[in-house]
Amino acid sequence: MSTILQLTDATIKFGGLTAVNKVSFNLQKGDLFGLIGPNGAGKTTCFNLITGVYKPTSGSIVFNGKEISGTPSNKIASLGICRTFQNIRLFPALSVLENVVVGAYLRHKTGLGSALAYLPSAIAETEALRAEAFALLQVVDLDDVAHVRSADLPYGKQRRLEIARAMATQPSLLLLDEPAAGMNPQEKDDLARVVRRIRDEFEKTVLLIEHDMRFVMGLCERIVVLDHGEEIAQGPPEAIRSNPKVIEAYLGEAV
Amino acid sequence: MFYLKRFGWVILAILLCVGFESVVTSGKNFDYVYRMCVLAGLYVTLAVSLNLINGITGQFSIGHAAFYQVGAYITGFFAATGYKGFASNSLVQQLSHIGVNATWTVQGLWLVMMVLAGAAGAAVAGFVVGLPSLRLKGDYLAIVTLGFGEIIRIVCQNQPALGGAYGMKIEPRINSMWFVWLLAILCIAVCRNLLKTAHGLPFLAVREDEVASSAMGVDVTKVKVTAFVIGAAFAGAAGALLGHFEGFVSPPMFKMEVSFMVLTMVVLGGTGSITGSTVGALLLFGIPEWLRQIEDSHHNPILVSAGSVLGFAIMLVAAVAYVRHLIHHFHGEKKAKTQRIVGTFAAALVAQFFLGMLLNLVPALRDKSWPYADLRWAIFAVTLIVLMLLRPQGMFAHHEFSVARFFKRPKEAAA
Ligand SMILES: Nc1ncnc2c1ncn2[C@@H]1O[C@H](COP(=O)(O)OP(=O)(O)OP(=O)(O)O)[C@@H](O)[C@H]1O
Ligand SMILES: [Mg+2]
Repeated sequence: MSTILQLTDATIKFGGLTAVNKVSFNLQKGDLFGLIGPNGAGKTTCFNLITGVYKPTSGSIVFNGKEISGTPSNKIASLGICRTFQNIRLFPALSVLENVVVGAYLRHKTGLGSALAYLPSAIAETEALRAEAFALLQVVDLDDVAHVRSADLPYGKQRRLEIARAMATQPSLLLLDEPAAGMNPQEKDDLARVVRRIRDEFEKTVLLIEHDMRFVMGLCERIVVLDHGEEIAQGPPEAIRSNPKVIEAYLGEAV
Repeated sequence: MFYLKRFGWVILAILLCVGFESVVTSGKNFDYVYRMCVLAGLYVTLAVSLNLINGITGQFSIGHAAFYQVGAYITGFFAATGYKGFASNSLVQQLSHIGVNATWTVQGLWLVMMVLAGAAGAAVAGFVVGLPSLRLKGDYLAIVTLGFGEIIRIVCQNQPALGGAYGMKIEPRINSMWFVWLLAILCIAVCRNLLKTAHGLPFLAVREDEVASSAMGVDVTKVKVTAFVIGAAFAGAAGALLGHFEGFVSPPMFKMEVSFMVLTMVVLGGTGSITGSTVGALLLFGIPEWLRQIEDSHHNPILVSAGSVLGFAIMLVAAVAYVRHLIHHFHGEKKAKTQRIVGTFAAALVAQFFLGMLLNLVPALRDKSWPYADLRWAIFAVTLIVLMLLRPQGMFAHHEFSVARFFKRPKEAAA
């Protein structure tokens, strides 16, 4: 197994607030990794650091042997890290299919000029990207609503669409920020199946944030726990479940 | 095969434009109509190119007249310094034997060069204005672009080398209506091609959500600057044609009003819709011109009394208020809703007639009257206000006009 992502003492301060404080963890290729912690623990901020939304105040983030802290978001996406957002950020006026094509567009080869002149090469590429996007919609079971405005989708489907859109960039590392939030138990089970399939069949490494303990514990093989920006535990689900620090952080909530 | 087909389309477009021009010039006293058609074509180009920046990429730019002016002044400058040399150039002299007649060919070649020069100059200006759009959003960007437009105009106004407040004469004057419309068609085609291919999606994505766009690998910087450059280039090309058509350029031709007019065309048509911008441009340019001409059979201006105007205004306000209420609170069938809206306006129209008669009993209102033509900007403004109150998303919203959409029932069209 080789290391795909390595955080070493990653820290970010917003004014006086240290949102993430010396967090370190390693992801191996093919991991299904969980990132948990109470509200405001700094989980989403970790994602923002990894995807280049913020530059860490100190510490390093190495992806496939390359230091990526401070690299702009779009470059990081083309290196092979893509994410979903906690507060869904689709392109509302675009159709479901178009949302996914935006992700796939990362791999376009024909230039803007050939598109403006509507040359056969650009048309063919458009067709190819759309076909690719449609295939991904089938994976997340959204192919029947491909031409609906994405803003008109129900909540659960919007979350699945975000996953498809991120998958379209063909990342080697997929970051999911609370993918099951707002879903009913049935939808959560379906989602867990999709995530597992993404890892097994598409051979992605997955790092996911989730509050639903049953979901995380059932799905992830390794978990890191944050509280107040600090890493308080790391290990397999069984060890996390019985860790006194974790129980304390969640104030006796059943873990 | 593809290129053959494409060639056919290009020829068809040229024939259409040339045909349109010959239809216009075949009428008697066509000067006025010709002028209107040229200006309409230029406004279509301006609106559609601004729509690329504002509607498609979502960058709120309101200084479009600046790019128009850059294009016009560049040709003005070249015409003053270079046209004579160009016309007597030996290569041009040889080429001039090809076309219909020598002047036609020489002027045509010159015009093509000037359009390219205007477009290139404006593209550079677009690049410069595009840069702040990387850091500024919404209102702030709007202020910067507006400021840029004014700076360009005022600098030109105070540069003796550019003719100062008087402006520059441009020799030769070239009547180029078919060329103007060809440019408009090209501009529409380019925008439509962009939206038809996957390459247009990053532009739309930037409009929708910048953070999500860059997370998906879209180079937001590049997209925004590209939109500004292409949009500005078309405005510059239009400016070059305007300069040669008018035979002069001067700062007042590019006042803030022009920018606002073009912006209004885009918003009225529905930001993001190419068809919307086109129709918006034609309507907003056409309505005031049409109002200017209203006269009775003896060529006298039609007068309206203050009472009628007041009566009309009151009933219009009432009708708009009621229709707005209907739009938001009537939950019946679509057909019933449409009937009620139409009914409201019909009733208001009848009521304003009687109210006007009633008000005209007041001597002060009866004795005051204006010709329609003087009220045209007021009528224009009221039309805009009513439209925006009733349909804030613009005539076409984000959509393009398509025959299929037109015949589909609303529910299907939405899907
Ligand atoms: N841009 C920012 N500026 C200032 N403070 C921020 C910023 N982003 C995050 N924070 C703060 O950092 C802390 C961690 O936020 P973060 O969103 O990472 O929490 P989280 O673990 O994702 O919580 P939740 O479970 O509620 O999503 C919070 O206190 C938040 O207010
Ligand atoms: Mg969060």
